[in-house]
Amino acid sequence: MRSEAVAPPGTSGKVILVGNPNVGKSVVFGYLTGRYVTVSNYPGTTVEITRGDARERDGSVEVIDTPGVYSLLPMSEDEKVTRDILMAETGARIIQVCDAKNMRRSLMITIQLAEMEVPLILAVNMADEAMARGVMPRVDELEKKIGIPAIPTVAVTKKGVDRLMSLSERSKPPSLRISYGEKIDSAIAQLEQLIPDTAPIGKRALALMLLCGDDSLTPWLAGNVRGDSIKEMNAIRNLMVEEMGEDIAYRVNQMRLQWIDSLLGGLGEEPAESRGTDWPQAFGRLAMDPLYGLPILLAVLFLAYEFVGVLGAKFLVDLLEGGLFGKGIVPAAVWVTERALPWPLARDFLVGPYGMISMALSYAIAIVLPIVGTFFLGFGILEDSGYLPRLAVMVDRVFKRIGCNGKAVLPMILGLGCDTMATLTTRILETRKERIIVTLLLALGIPCSAQLGVILGMLGKVGAAATTAWLVILIGVILAVGYLASKVIPGESSDFILEIPPIRMPLLGNLVVKTMARIEWYLREAVPLFILGTFLLFVADRFGWLLLLQKAAEPIVVGVLDLPPKTAEAFLIGFLRRDYGAAGLFDMARAGLLTNLQVLVSLVTITLFIPCLANFLVIVKEHGYKVAAGMAIFIFPFAILVGALVNFAARKAGIAF
Amino acid sequence: MTEYGHDEILELIWTLREENRSTKPRLLECSEEEGPELLLDELAAAGHVEVTGDDLRLTRTGDERARGIIRRHRLAEVLLQNLFDLDPTQTESSACKFEHILTTPVTESVCTFLGHPPVCPHGRPIPRGACCDRIRTEIQPMVTRLSDAALGEIVRIVFITPKSRKRLEKLSSLGIVPGSRLRLLQRNPSYVLQIGETTVAVDRDITDEIYVKRT
Repeated sequence: MRSEAVAPPGTSGKVILVGNPNVGKSVVFGYLTGRYVTVSNYPGTTVEITRGDARERDGSVEVIDTPGVYSLLPMSEDEKVTRDILMAETGARIIQVCDAKNMRRSLMITIQLAEMEVPLILAVNMADEAMARGVMPRVDELEKKIGIPAIPTVAVTKKGVDRLMSLSERSKPPSLRISYGEKIDSAIAQLEQLIPDTAPIGKRALALMLLCGDDSLTPWLAGNVRGDSIKEMNAIRNLMVEEMGEDIAYRVNQMRLQWIDSLLGGLGEEPAESRGTDWPQAFGRLAMDPLYGLPILLAVLFLAYEFVGVLGAKFLVDLLEGGLFGKGIVPAAVWVTERALPWPLARDFLVGPYGMISMALSYAIAIVLPIVGTFFLGFGILEDSGYLPRLAVMVDRVFKRIGCNGKAVLPMILGLGCDTMATLTTRILETRKERIIVTLLLALGIPCSAQLGVILGMLGKVGAAATTAWLVILIGVILAVGYLASKVIPGESSDFILEIPPIRMPLLGNLVVKTMARIEWYLREAVPLFILGTFLLFVADRFGWLLLLQKAAEPIVVGVLDLPPKTAEAFLIGFLRRDYGAAGLFDMARAGLLTNLQVLVSLVTITLFIPCLANFLVIVKEHGYKVAAGMAIFIFPFAILVGALVNFAARKAGIAF
Repeated sequence: MTEYGHDEILELIWTLREENRSTKPRLLECSEEEGPELLLDELAAAGHVEVTGDDLRLTRTGDERARGIIRRHRLAEVLLQNLFDLDPTQTESSACKFEHILTTPVTESVCTFLGHPPVCPHGRPIPRGACCDRIRTEIQPMVTRLSDAALGEIVRIVFITPKSRKRLEKLSSLGIVPGSRLRLLQRNPSYVLQIGETTVAVDRDITDEIYVKRT
């Protein structure tokens, strides 16, 4: 008998979406719950559990979205998240989202879920792509052979997904079991005897995990299994290892694949739909071609720059800042406050040099928002097209030098959108060493979209030479620090094994929803900090602390970096958010307070600062206080040091830009 | 065990001949067999060896038999030492057994699998076999590393020799196991494979560990 703590299968009113990476779990989640979670065309977009209430059942059913897995024997942090939720949410029903084009791999997960004895149905997703390629399996036949309900779906166009909920409600734990050969089967049987009846998932699944040497089960074992049973389990496993070698997991996978291959072989496929040349896939090949890959990369960068740097940072910022705020809102606010507010303090609080409207809102809405908005849109197109993993192929060899592999480019590129979110995405990297290196480089050298836009706006006015210098210095710093970090930080780097998704035409609907969700997130996250920063400056200015601070920082700001004392303000609020600091510099540069060299020095310095408080807190969350504090202690002095070196070298060489 | 003893004597004569010292006293000194003189006499009687004074010479039939023995021995050395990275002290005794038991088709498969190596790990020439002649028209060895496979050609995985267990597990969860069919799409800037409808980018050293056969 199972104890009360473990709910019988299918009774908890929860539905968990499970499947390989990049099969569309989050799209299905979005349909079932009406809640948006980020959806992209590359593996590893979801790294955390997301929960939402199902629309169809008046909120009585909770739907859980999980990170994609290649196996339920976890290889990376995000895979462990999924396996752990399956063990924690006993009583949940499972909808496995499959890639119809890759049923071989999908069924690997199906077998493991069946062994877990969870009520299961299959959503055979991306049926349209599988039909077009002539590899669509006969789903009705499949259903009969494995005894698990399955329906073809095309989640992005909402085909078939409306039936998932009702089908899931009738689902039962499947009876599908496969044989792993006499030896492994008898070891499983022995292990099953030792596993307590309170096990949260099927004993066969647990026995296989134990046999395969899954270390991540240790905490569960420690809490649930008696010491002498653990000894016996080890004896069984050791005997197997002696007979078959260490790679039992591999043999188990091989047996599963053999079984699947014979199943699929006898299944037959739907007739292929005719189609012409597959242009997107042809482009996908060229994008990682040794010859054409680089020009395509440069073209992508150029277009991104034109879109964000020119359309966003120049045109839209001029429109909003110069027009809407400069000529409209701010003068209007001044006019109103002069008449409505008799107290000068209150007036200054709203429209003074450190005013809520004149500074906080105009920075947040007029300078940063258009840049962030265009960036998020452009970035969404890149994400949904499937180009990003191809970039990882292009840069793999460079990343090897900094102790990572090409996969690390995904969080780094995501960092150009938001370093905080990107720091969470480092979970897709397999070793702690890689995660720490990338987290450090994100915090140090990757400017987020808000900051990037402001920076490009300033550099654009100074000229191409300064822009190039800034870029070269940053890339140099990232490579140098990455190289050193790879030597200093202990641990291993992992293999580069990355699935490349097909190139797809981004769907306008998803782009709009995703961009809006991110802009909303930006407004919620950044604007309060902008207001807080402005408030601090306002108070500091009132009490004359600002002058004191400028004095105190003078030896560094003026002495070492050769910048005007007022720059200290920008650096101060740069501690809160880099982009806010950069916006302060933007303002100063426009007022003619900075020479070209000073623009470069101040930008290099502030780019290397930790992006924002939120980023710091996420580093604490992911790696603990020690690592986060260590990074902060390194980053701030290092940023000033690099700024000072740039200043010194340029002056020595007589380069003024 | 006379068959075995004869093989050993013929092998030794061949080796001594390579060193230009195939004399009877030298042979008797080097041989580890029991009663080498008797074995030599038997070989001479069977027409495999001609003994003139101290001089030893392999006849045509003797030469042919010795060539086969040497070939099997040295191919086994290449297989065990170069491919499996086994310790030479371990491989020598195994290679000595292989030379007696491998049949011609098996030997040819091993030779082809190894890509018709010209020399053994000690640098001594490996006698050519019938399979080696064909190499002139059929350039590819039968089994190659995936990294050396022709681009775009569908190949079948024969075996995988991974450095780590983790790597093997990861590959197998992507469906990359012996028996799977796949294509190598490109080598630069990274290795890219296609297996079914899945495209995967991997390190070079991983493709070095996957051995494939053309289909």
